[in-house]
Amino acid sequence: MSESVIRIASIYPTLLGTYGDGGNVLALKHRAGLHGLVTDVVDVSPGEPLPRDCDLYVLGGGEDTAQVAAADSLRADGGMTQAVDRGAAVLAICAGYQLIGREFPDATGAPSAGVGILDIRTDRLPKRAVGELLTRPDPQAPAGLTDLLTGYENHAGATHLGPDARPLAQVEFGVGNGDVSEGAISGHVMGTYLHGPCLARNPQIADVLLGWVVGEQLPHIAEREVEELRAERLEFVRRSGR
Amino acid sequence: MSRKLRTRMAITAGRMAAATSRIAGRGEGMVVGGRVMLKLAPDAIADLANGRVAALVSATNGKTSTTRLLANAVEQLGPVVTAATGANMTSGVVTTLASGPPDATAVLEVDEAYLPMVTAATKPRVILLGNLSRDQLDRMNEVAMTARKWRKMLAENPDVTVVANADDPVVTFAAEQAPRVIWVGGGQVWTADSSVCPECGTLLTRSDTQWNCTGCGRKRPETSWELRWQDGSGTAVSRLGQEFDLFGLQLPGRFNASNATLALAVAEQLGLGLDESVKRMCQVQAVSGRYAIVNVGAIRIRLLLAKNPAGWTELIDVMPPAPTPVIVSINSNAADGRDPSWLWDVPFEKLRGRTVIATGDRRRDLAVRLLHAEVDHVVIADPYSPAAPLPPEARALDVIDNAATYTAFHELRTRAQREATSE
Ligand SMILES: [Zn+2]
Repeated sequence: MSESVIRIASIYPTLLGTYGDGGNVLALKHRAGLHGLVTDVVDVSPGEPLPRDCDLYVLGGGEDTAQVAAADSLRADGGMTQAVDRGAAVLAICAGYQLIGREFPDATGAPSAGVGILDIRTDRLPKRAVGELLTRPDPQAPAGLTDLLTGYENHAGATHLGPDARPLAQVEFGVGNGDVSEGAISGHVMGTYLHGPCLARNPQIADVLLGWVVGEQLPHIAEREVEELRAERLEFVRRSGR
Repeated sequence: MSRKLRTRMAITAGRMAAATSRIAGRGEGMVVGGRVMLKLAPDAIADLANGRVAALVSATNGKTSTTRLLANAVEQLGPVVTAATGANMTSGVVTTLASGPPDATAVLEVDEAYLPMVTAATKPRVILLGNLSRDQLDRMNEVAMTARKWRKMLAENPDVTVVANADDPVVTFAAEQAPRVIWVGGGQVWTADSSVCPECGTLLTRSDTQWNCTGCGRKRPETSWELRWQDGSGTAVSRLGQEFDLFGLQLPGRFNASNATLALAVAEQLGLGLDESVKRMCQVQAVSGRYAIVNVGAIRIRLLLAKNPAGWTELIDVMPPAPTPVIVSINSNAADGRDPSWLWDVPFEKLRGRTVIATGDRRRDLAVRLLHAEVDHVVIADPYSPAAPLPPEARALDVIDNAATYTAFHELRTRAQREATSE
């Protein structure tokens, strides 16, 4: 296999990623294609060892019980920590975001141990966050992340960032982490509550992740369908009375 | 029939409420009428059921069509009451039971969540359990929780015969401990909601025809009926080797052949003539507007309804092959699910090689999905308008398939009815 192939691991798509999150992997392939990059996607099933040589690891959302099972399995495997140590990129959505942190609430609300590759802790929001989510990239967000971020959130987690993580964005509409920030980044590890799926609605994030892998900032390539969807969603939030 | 006075009064009041609702233009009034009835006579369902409920039908997908197929078969015994509109919660059930002759046999569609309550009240002879998967996504419907409720329900109603789809591991889990289960190999295209064992959480192992759990040893039960599906046509095969050709079914697709096979297994339990049952099932043309061919604006469409990713996955196979263009209408009202992320769980890649006309409130989400699926598409707000920029090959079709989410489907149906009456 040539060096220029970007290897993407889709982690436990049967457990995590039942809410359209598979679209993030599709969007990575699609954006990579636009930039002339070749990708190879590996689906990793629960129970299988995590491939050690991937460039990018993607985790989606899932139900409470699936989330605990996935976190336990990933901790036992140990491959995520190694991947992060050698600089691999990670994108984790919703339940996936919570479970790569230090701890998150299980189905009963009791704290459950996360994978620990992102310095966040999650407990419960007073009220479930369901609806459109619009955020503005944090001033410290990676270069190339300039557009508003749009998506849909559906979670009950209040996520608290530790000193080793910084927010991905600041909330303009919706709930996000619960303290006006949204998502978290540490090194090449990124987590967010944005569904939609996130990368289809926010191609700049896909470009940042791919840019981390190839070691250079990728130019922005706009696509009509995506721009029209983004414009419509932004208008929807505007009309919803922010 | 000795209906309680209270029930009779409630029926009258319910009918008045329903009529008022109809006059006010708020739909068929079944739900409103039913609510009024249940408020006045909380035990009206049990009183009206009175031993005449032949079967309850529940599933995430296909329950309206299956109920209609079965009701048609049961009519060989005499009058049948069944909901014409898919009203399947307690209010719909009570209204259906109050309609028609008081001693007519009842065949009822029941919402998954209401099934335990309706079973307890109606004491049916047979319960048909088709499939369980996620419905509207932002309701966070836990599939496994529904299965556990069904399991408890069957333990509490040991006299009922269950006809269940052995190919759905979640349905199997729900039905396995019932004293009398007729297993039917109805198939399962959508496996994303049953990837792990509902009991022990182990990832299930699947082959073309079997599934099993290496954790607890659960596996697909031995079936009494199987659907054999070949070259776009189905045959229901009994364990005794009897074969029933379902080629004549007018409801399209593998999943309707599966629905018919499940209904045939119920017909057998009810002692019906099976050849006659198949013949009567083949007379069903359209169910509450599903598969109906209607004029909307300047074009003629075949209406297809899908309410969740499992339904969409089945529906894509019903559409004519490429390069025939199709219309896909996506809304995100409450009844559709507010979050259309599920579009990414549906294999729209299968539509490659044709132009898809994307419409509905969320047509732009669909366009992005189709872009990633490498499916040619045009986005048109009103493709039914005479001036719509339809691709010429779409304009040339006599009838074009139009798949739609729940509220988009009902908008089209209402528009077709309105335009038909105003001509
Ligand atoms: Zn098991």
